[in-house]
Amino acid sequence: MRAEASRGRRRFVLEIAKAAGVAPVALGVLDGSAAALPRGEATDMAILSAALMIEHHAIALYAHGLERGLFPRGLRAYAVEFRGDHLGHRDTQIAIMEERGDRAPAALSYDFPGARPGDAFVQQALEIEVAAQLAYTGLISQIRTDDYLLSAGFILVDEVRHMTVWRRVLGLRIY
Amino acid sequence: MIRIGRRALLRATGLLALAPRAAQARDYTSAGEVLDTIDRLAGDVEAALSAIADAVPGAQPFAVSVRADHVRERADRDAIRARLRLPEAPPPGAPAAPASSSLDALRSTQQELVHAHAEGLPALDDAAAVHALARHMVEAARRLTVIDLWIELEAERAG
Repeated sequence: MRAEASRGRRRFVLEIAKAAGVAPVALGVLDGSAAALPRGEATDMAILSAALMIEHHAIALYAHGLERGLFPRGLRAYAVEFRGDHLGHRDTQIAIMEERGDRAPAALSYDFPGARPGDAFVQQALEIEVAAQLAYTGLISQIRTDDYLLSAGFILVDEVRHMTVWRRVLGLRIY
Repeated sequence: MIRIGRRALLRATGLLALAPRAAQARDYTSAGEVLDTIDRLAGDVEAALSAIADAVPGAQPFAVSVRADHVRERADRDAIRARLRLPEAPPPGAPAAPASSSLDALRSTQQELVHAHAEGLPALDDAAAVHALARHMVEAARRLTVIDLWIELEAERAG
């Protein structure tokens, strides 16, 4: 039962990670086909790229919802706050990559044709937050450098806050 | 390979959202120090939550849930200590003063606990320990948000 739930979560994260444009090397860690990446600068860059693509995807989703009024009226402030967090995460990760002489991957063109207003859109936001949280939790132990590990820790804390708020809004269990 | 210090990096990215938190981060020097700090803060959170639950019966289910989480997490930390051949956790000390029953004080201690997890990750120097404490941090951050939402609810009730 637990193994099945774990496989389901993994599939779900992989679907969102693929939609976000995460590179195959990080997908391998997330789907369990690569047990561990060699700890090094290249691995850190692969993880940064993966995390950055998920941030791009989240920013695009929040922008889509805010521009079209898809979030329930009373929850707009949360959506604005969370979008701001994702922008901060994106900029931090781009800065780390550029500081190391690497080029950060640009956002893809994201499309949300099935987006519906109200709780359905909150559910969509929750899904990307859950995927981000699971992806960071899955990848964090592969990070080698202290500065990035520290930043990833604080980013993960933010993702959990977003996820917990949306779960509560949808009446799901939060403790 | 370019290797730069954390604080230098964060100064370079000084306008970013994460910089203030990370720039003030405590520099832990060993896994033992991280685990000791987390043990102490978890005890402080339990004491604060017990004081609140004594005064507000509606808080009991959350207090019970947190205590159960803490028992599991403490066992994981003990296993990490054993695997890394660190000394056993010190026995919990008696609190210097009775725990406050204020939600704000609980929130502040829970936030310290979350930050100790995040700030301690670089000092662990062990991938399995990072993975375990990252999972605990997720749970601690979830509980911190529950407390935040609880405070918001109380504020709304107070009008």
